[in-house]
Amino acid sequence: MSDTKKFTYYPGCSSLGSGAHLDRSIRAIAPKLGVELEELEDWNCCGASVGHIEGGQLANTSLSGRNLAHAQQQGPQDIVTGCAACYLNTHGAAEKIKSDVKLRENVNEALGAAGLKYDEDRRVRHVCEVIVNEVGLDKVREAVTNPLDGLKVAGYVGCQTVRPFAETEGGGEYDTFDDPQFLDDFIEACGAEAVEYDVKTACCGGSVSVMKPEKTLHLIKKILDAAVEADADVIATPCPLCQTNVEMYQDAINKKFGTDFNIPVVFYSQIMAVAFGMDGKKDAALDQNIIKATKLEAAAK
Amino acid sequence: MTVALPEQATRKYDLGFARWVRDNVNGGAKMSMCMQCGMCSGSCPIGTEMDQGPRKLFMMIRAGMKDEVFNSSTIWNCTSCYNCTVRCPRGVPVTYIIQDLAAKAVEFGYVKKVENARFAKAFWWSAKTFGRTDERLMTAKYYFSFGLVEGMKRGLANLKIAIGMVRTKRMHIGMPHKIKDTKGLQAILAKAAEIDARESKGGA
Repeated sequence: MSDTKKFTYYPGCSSLGSGAHLDRSIRAIAPKLGVELEELEDWNCCGASVGHIEGGQLANTSLSGRNLAHAQQQGPQDIVTGCAACYLNTHGAAEKIKSDVKLRENVNEALGAAGLKYDEDRRVRHVCEVIVNEVGLDKVREAVTNPLDGLKVAGYVGCQTVRPFAETEGGGEYDTFDDPQFLDDFIEACGAEAVEYDVKTACCGGSVSVMKPEKTLHLIKKILDAAVEADADVIATPCPLCQTNVEMYQDAINKKFGTDFNIPVVFYSQIMAVAFGMDGKKDAALDQNIIKATKLEAAAK
Repeated sequence: MTVALPEQATRKYDLGFARWVRDNVNGGAKMSMCMQCGMCSGSCPIGTEMDQGPRKLFMMIRAGMKDEVFNSSTIWNCTSCYNCTVRCPRGVPVTYIIQDLAAKAVEFGYVKKVENARFAKAFWWSAKTFGRTDERLMTAKYYFSFGLVEGMKRGLANLKIAIGMVRTKRMHIGMPHKIKDTKGLQAILAKAAEIDARESKGGA
């Protein structure tokens, strides 16, 4: 492909664990979309939604500062990440540093302890925003060689992929906070059916679901209920924590509420890999879903 | 480290604590814009698990109810969904404020035993030690922060999930994934803590 655009790719910690299938499928589909991903050198944790509690605000921001400094060394290209929390923190830190002279000074003083500096303003982007604004849906449609006719998908966006940055200038203004369309657009571009799904930006409980699921199982149940009601074969999401929470707690929800949920939860990038005619295991990483997406597996080459 | 807290208000219209929040809490400078409309609490997905909710919590800050604010379950059950932040008609970054109040509650010793403080401790340990979140070790450290028996209980309750994760190669067996320059990262974090301490002594 001639017009390839290069990005510095920040996979994030979940890429080495619970979200390995997001990372694998993103790396697989990127070349088909004319996107070159060069991994960020020695990237570290973004701090997620709890880093500031034990580490403090400045140390937490300095985590992102170190990643930004490495990106600056690596080349002029934008940073891109597929993880909602990495995007929120890294983009958020870059925007704050941009507008707060004192913070930039402090972060750089901290970075100096490791001989690093960040003295520019680097754009940090989300893979979904890049697909919407740089790649374009036409190119996604062009890449489809194996349209997923008859597959019914509930597009579950979650929170941090669109909030709080989707409607901001820095966030690329790629969609809305409450009623984002991009995920349904991706699904339809792949030839599948995006079912009516009102709870697309409902919350899965985030890290609270990890530390005290008893408080949040009812939130995940709502997400599952709506997918069953819409007769979806599979739930698709861009967020690694959403994917894990909504998938792994189905047993606990069944126990607590007397339900019988067993719905596969996949990433949009896994759906794209299948629709692009790529390998169901090696590229789409469907072997990494605990609840098997059998219909999607059957459609895979 | 943050500037010392003011005393709990004993008289009416004592804005000492509200001013402290304004000057020391991330996003706090915008708190005075709050008009108590309740959009935040109405938008909160987990309001049922909160004693106050953000709207009431903000009023309590204005009323100087420092102890009640830091002991409130509102700051511990926020899921960081950012609904309140994007919907606030006055541009108050509600999520940032709630999140930082949680950090301050830990810093000033209000809570040591709540799940979030334990979880945050385990999380930061992994980030600092390895430069990355090791989901296995962080979760184990969190579970066992409740003691050996409770740790085993929590571990067993989630055994099936863990087995599923290992089977699908979403949890590896072996050494933690580490960044190359852990020393450099630790030096950065130590320096950041030092700057924080220096700035809070200077006063706000």
